[in-house]
Amino acid sequence: MITIGHYLVLASFLFVVGLIGALTRKSAIIVFLAIELMLNSVNLVFLALGRYFGQLDGAVFVFFIMAVSAAEAAIGVAITVAFIRRNKTTAIDAANLMKW
Amino acid sequence: MTFAVVFFAVAFLAFIGALTLVFHRHPVIAVLGMAAATVSIGVLYVMLHVPFLGLFQMIVYAGAVMVIALYVIMALGPEESGPQVGTVQTVLTYLASLLFLLHLYRVLIKSEIGPMPAVDEAFGSIQAFGGALVSRYAVPFELASLLLLGAMVGAVVLSRRQWQ
Repeated sequence: MITIGHYLVLASFLFVVGLIGALTRKSAIIVFLAIELMLNSVNLVFLALGRYFGQLDGAVFVFFIMAVSAAEAAIGVAITVAFIRRNKTTAIDAANLMKW
Repeated sequence: MTFAVVFFAVAFLAFIGALTLVFHRHPVIAVLGMAAATVSIGVLYVMLHVPFLGLFQMIVYAGAVMVIALYVIMALGPEESGPQVGTVQTVLTYLASLLFLLHLYRVLIKSEIGPMPAVDEAFGSIQAFGGALVSRYAVPFELASLLLLGAMVGAVVLSRRQWQ
């Protein structure tokens, strides 16, 4: 029997794995994809709770999050490409201009 | 019963894909792991009675975002690098993740967990979805179009500028 708890536990695992990836990886593209993974797991929570309470608002929110993450993908990839062309590496340690 | 088997198979695939993304040294294999994870999450959306969004998830993430990420990696040369180990930042990250997970489970075991209630057939249909989008959520819908337009202009400006 699949309860809402199963969905929430899976989403929390995916979120934490994405968090670890976003904070410990060096490659800018992998960090970007790890953030997308965190967005996806939050979407899963929205849909599971919306289904649980029988309301469509969760699905509409997921739709808007997808629009925002598509915009983020376009800008993020453009920034990544500009960054790699400028620094000749994908390592985000090279972004130290504002380092104190 | 079949539902539970499919759920656990898909959840396992999503989890393995996420781990591949974060811990595999080769960026192409990492992106492929992420593609597997997004497709599995799309299947979970379908199982949550919102097939429209599941399809959307597969097209947008596994289709568009993963292909763009692969394209960037291929065009600029794959550079192998694993997750950092042994730095202060790594230790703090794992500690914070563990505390966050424990906190989530503390909340979860205190709350009432029931099986998914039955919904009628019209629940996740495109009709209901479109009706919500043009009535209750009309203003956010329009704002999303402005956001996408701004993102498009920004991407063009960023990619046309010459970086020395």
